Parts: sequence; C-alpha cells; structure tokens
Amino acid sequence: MPVRVLWVAALASVLAGTAACSRSSDASAVPAITLTTPGNGAPAYVALTGLPATAVRALEQGSLTPEQWASVLRVAVSTDAQPMLGNYTVVDGVVRFTPLFPFDQGRQYHVRFEPARLPGGGADAGGVIETTIGRPASTAVPSTVVARVYPSGDIVPENLLRMYVEFSAPMGRKSGVEYIALLDHQGKEIEGAVLPLDYEFWSPDHKRFTVFFDPGRVKKGILPNLQMGRPLAVGRSVTLVVKREWPDENGLPLKQEFRRELRVSATDLDPLDTSAWRIQSPAAGSRDGVVVTFPEPLDHGLLMRALGVARDGKEVEGAIGVDQGETRWTFTPTTPWQPGTYQLLALDILEDLAGNQIGRAFEVDNFDTVDKGPNPETITIPFRVK
Amino acid sequence: MHSQTKFWLLIALLVATSWAPSAARGVAETGQGPKMASIGPLTFGPDGTLFAADNQGAAIFALDLGAPAATGTPGAKGLDALDEKLAALLGTGAREIAITDLAVHPKTRQVYVAAMRGQGAGAAATLFRIDGTGKIDLVQLSSLKFQSVELPNPPAVNATGRQNPRSNVITDMGFADGRLWVAGLSNEEFASKLRAIPYPFSTVDRGTSVEIYHGNHQQLETRSPVNAFVPYTIDDKPYLLAGYTCTPLVKFPISDLKPGDKVRGTTIAEFGAGNRVLDMIVYRKGNQEFLLSTNNSRGVMKIPTNTFAKATPITTPVQSETAGVPFEKVTSMTGIEQMDKLDDQNVIVLARASSGSVNLQVLPLP
Repeated sequence: MPVRVLWVAALASVLAGTAACSRSSDASAVPAITLTTPGNGAPAYVALTGLPATAVRALEQGSLTPEQWASVLRVAVSTDAQPMLGNYTVVDGVVRFTPLFPFDQGRQYHVRFEPARLPGGGADAGGVIETTIGRPASTAVPSTVVARVYPSGDIVPENLLRMYVEFSAPMGRKSGVEYIALLDHQGKEIEGAVLPLDYEFWSPDHKRFTVFFDPGRVKKGILPNLQMGRPLAVGRSVTLVVKREWPDENGLPLKQEFRRELRVSATDLDPLDTSAWRIQSPAAGSRDGVVVTFPEPLDHGLLMRALGVARDGKEVEGAIGVDQGETRWTFTPTTPWQPGTYQLLALDILEDLAGNQIGRAFEVDNFDTVDKGPNPETITIPFRVK
Repeated sequence: MHSQTKFWLLIALLVATSWAPSAARGVAETGQGPKMASIGPLTFGPDGTLFAADNQGAAIFALDLGAPAATGTPGAKGLDALDEKLAALLGTGAREIAITDLAVHPKTRQVYVAAMRGQGAGAAATLFRIDGTGKIDLVQLSSLKFQSVELPNPPAVNATGRQNPRSNVITDMGFADGRLWVAGLSNEEFASKLRAIPYPFSTVDRGTSVEIYHGNHQQLETRSPVNAFVPYTIDDKPYLLAGYTCTPLVKFPISDLKPGDKVRGTTIAEFGAGNRVLDMIVYRKGNQEFLLSTNNSRGVMKIPTNTFAKATPITTPVQSETAGVPFEKVTSMTGIEQMDKLDDQNVIVLARASSGSVNLQVLPLP
C-alpha cells in the first residue's frame, strides 16, 4: 500500500545502545520512526521501520499486551505522560501505531522506541530512539462570526427570558455563560444577568446557543431583586456582548467580538392572547402565504415549531418564514390552497420574549393557575380561503 | 385570480383538541456497540447496569459492562489531574476534553468516568474505569451490549418544527422503584419535567410536569429547571429529592409521579439565589442520614434528613437568604463538581483545583 510521509518534527536521534548494523530485514536499513498517513483518507499512524527480521518475527508471534507494546514503542503527548491508547500492528515488516483518535493538528507527540523491550531482547535492533512527531498546525484563521441574534428587534422587555445566538459555523462544546456579557447604558457589566445554567444549550448542529436570563431578578421585593437589583433598566439601553474568545469547533476564537445595543421596555407580565393576532388569508388556487401578525415579538425558536396549518385534522405541508422582528409568521403551502376552511394550529407553549405563554403568564403568584398537564395543548384558529 | 386580502379578527377556539402534537418516539433498541454521540450524566442500576445519557443523540443507553467489569482491584483511588491523565490517554490536551460525570459501580465500587474528546458536534464519547489501585482502563464501548431508548421529539405542529434546532439537556438521572428517572430541560423551553423509563426499556412515558413553590422567587414555578436529584425513602415511602436552580430543595413522592399528570412538589428548603446544584448524594453516618449537595457558587452543604418528613412546606415568600430545613456548610470540600458515594465511609469527587485541573479525590464523608 503506498504511503506518504507527512511530516516529522525532529529527526530521530539514536541515543544509546548498540549500533544498528546487525541482521535486518533490509541489510542497509536502520530502525527509524516516521509519522505516516495513508493516501486513502485513513488516519495517520506512527511507523517504526528498519527492524531486523528477527525482531519483526518476534513481534508478529509475540502476542504482546497493550502495555508490552507501549514499552517497546511508546507514543505519548509528553515524555512523562502515560502512553496514548491505540492499536499496534505489524504490516510488511513495519510496526504501526494507530491512535484511538487521530493525532491533533499542531500538537507534538513524543515517541520512544526501546529495543531492549522487544521479545527476545532486541540485541540486534539498534539503540533507543526518541523523537517527536506531529501534524502541521492548522493554518486556518478565525472566521466564525455571530450571524444573528434573536430577538432580532431593537426593543426587549425588562423581563427578557432568553436569547438565541446563531453562528456562521459550528461552535465548540463549551457553554456560552462565560462568553456572554450584558453591559448597562454606561458600559458597565451587569453581574448575574445570565442564569448560571452552564449546560451545553446547543442546537444539534452546534450553530445556535440559547442564553437564559434570570427571571428572579425582575420581580420587585423578592430576594434576588433586593440583593442584586434589576438586571435591565426600563428606558435605558443595554448592550449584548459575545466575546471573541468563545471557541468554535476548531478551537479558534471568533473572528471578532459581537455587540448589539438594545432598548429596554417595560416588564411584560401578560399572557399571549390569540384574539389579538391577525390572519391575512390567502386566495384559493394560489400558493401565497397565510400571514399571521402578532402585536408583540414572539420567541423565534418556538415560532418555528409551535405554529402550523391543518385542514380537516390533517397537517398541511409547507414552508415557514418569520420576519419583522418576530412579529410576523408566514406559511407557504407546498400545493395551492383549496377553497374552504383551514385551521391555524398553535401549541400553547408558544411564548413571547418574557416567557409568557398562550393563556398563561410566566409569573404565577398563587396556587390557582398552573399547567393542565405536561404536554402542550393545541389551540385551533380557523381561517377561510376563498 | 388575484387574492383578496382579508383581515380576520380571530376568535380562538380553545379546545381540548384531538390534534396530537408530534412527540412520538421513545423507540427502544438493543444491540452491541452503542453509537453514542455524547455521554453523561451517568448512573448505575442496582444490578450494575450503567445508564448513560446521550444529550447530543437525544437518547439514553443502558450499558451492560460485561465480564471485564468484574476484573481489576475493587474500589477506586484518587488521582490528581485526572483530566490531564485521561487527555494523555486520548492523545490530546486537558483543554480538549470535558469530564461529564462519574458513577460508582454498586458491586465493585470502582468508579466510571465519562469524558468527551474534542470540540463541537464531532466530539467523541469515551468511558473509563478507575480501580482501587488507580489504574485507568478505557471501556471499549464497541464491545458492550446495550439497550437504548430515544427521547420523544419536541412537540411540533409542522414538519419544519420536527427538524428544528431544539435539543434536550438531561441534567440528572437516578434509578428507583424499577425505573430510570430522568430530569431534563431544553434549549427552547424553560421547563421542568421528570420522566420515568421502566427498565428493561420499552417506551418513555409522557413525563410528569412538576411544579414547586419557589420562596426566593415568591412564586409558583412549573418552569424552573431541576439540576440534580436523588431517590430517597422517607417514612418507608420512596421520594425524589430535587435541587432546582436558585436553589429550592423539593421532595416528590414517587407514587404521585404518574405519566401525563401534574405534580406539585413540597419545597422544604431554599439554599440561596444565583446558585445551581451540581450533584447530590445521600449517606448515613452513625445513626443519622444526610443529604450532601454540591453547588456552583455556594459550596458543599450537609443536610440532615431527619427533618424532611415533617419539614414545614415553604409556601410563602422567603425574604432571608436561605430558609427551611437546617444545613451546614462543609468548608473543607471545595471546587467539587461531581460526586458519588464510594463506600460507607467515603465519597469520591471530581474537584476543580485553583489551577483549573480536575482532581479525582476520595474524601471521608463529612
């Protein structure tokens, strides 16, 4: 199998032991260590070449344990680290170490060959070889940016519950809690505004992160409010900062810091009222969208799944668009509208920016108004297509 | 025909409709070599089955650790800089891995540690075992028999919504009453839901909506997240003790947690605002039992459980920093992010040192 030698950070150096001049599978060869990558996309491996035929045979027949293999050919992230996990094989007289996970780009690995640990003592296999190997560092430069933030409008309620930060490329695993800051109108960081939920609130593609704000800070007279004050001040501006240090999937920082200034409006304690929604009905025979307009911005993530269209109990297929600062929802059907009555379906978990749901405010002060059950109910709102 | 624009003043028909939002999944699978997109939290069943959550893959796995689980020296030994040691085995640096949880095997008392190697959606799930001599062994996931169950899809009323960026985060799991209990939240809902999964897996129930009175927030909450919980028996009745964000302690009788129901837990303590419970265990010392809780900003708390049965429920606003059942701070234990009871005398913890490295420590139960 053709192989391509990638890169060796330092030439192997013979440190001690007898000269590698006795019997070998190739009389002219001396043991050498290279980092090799096959041309078929398989992961790179460490190759130990130039072993005498006796040593190769001993290794092939030796049934070494992983610990014994690692004592012969040790590959590790540093001289004092435990050997890394991987598979040892002998192919065409060459010892191969293939790591359990591919070698990191830009990381140096320490490799040590100790012939005395070969089965039979390895007297004819030369001296100890120590070297470092590694793949070149990535030449990628930071390019990931914050693509958009929801809510996309300029005004947020004082009791804003969550934000979505969308990136141009997949991000790393780390929670954003330490990389997101809110600055008050004087540019001073607002401490404790983001809830200490440092979970990995990523979308499956790692391009959208959800930030939760502390609902307990808003309510007058309660302890978090008394201790820390309200995080956002009505009528003032607040600046969302997404710090450049937030690592993307390749471990690189963002291309630049992201900032957006928002204006804070009054606390929103009202449940959603679907009677305040307006439906612009499409014409029969067309594929124009049915347009639903709300009196306030709603949560972008929930707008994408908690609203739909049905007819006679059957879901209508189509595409969803959300715009105008999350105050407008458009559904464009795959096939033209037929004359008659359709239903707009709304799950009651749909929320505004403050977490108020349909028929239920986020804040409930007593033991009377609570969820009916763990699963959402569906509200049906008819509209006619002519 | 040009469409005629009409604005409808809508009359919402609130109906207990037969329309079923899509939530069906919960399919159980059996096989060898689980394909896990992520790993953690972990918890053991009493027979040595290791339950591992896969948040990225929206599934829970029951792993049969097989004959190798009976090998090695019983018990577990602490290791400094465990993150560096695991990273070295995985051929990378400590910054490139995340230790997600640990759990003690109920029979061998060896500790199993879950870690993710790499960044982003392409990171790999790994599982290690540390025995009584401190020897670290990789558990070959590909060799394990498993059962898995998918978490239900998010509720949605359109096709787009069923492929949307919502994801689940399982915050904790515990095995009690023959069932695996799962607490979780999502990146689109500030919600609190407990699900029970009978084991062996067949289906995931619809979940129980749990609500609490949050004295520090002066309100009833159904949407505060459960961060950690532990099964516990009070007066011969099985309960779940749950720690919430900012930080009520709540007890739920397991008999009340029925699928599709709504349950109000009894809030028996408030442990302070701006805080999150990271992990909890229950242990006995002398004639008394204690709940040990570790928190992200308020350290470790030792809470005698003998007051839990008759604790006065907190149903009115709390104006003090903490309230409810008494507790003491364990100042000797710092930086503790995860823990499990190792044996009758010791707890094993993942503690973050001031240097940032993560130490595996065996500490006497306080």
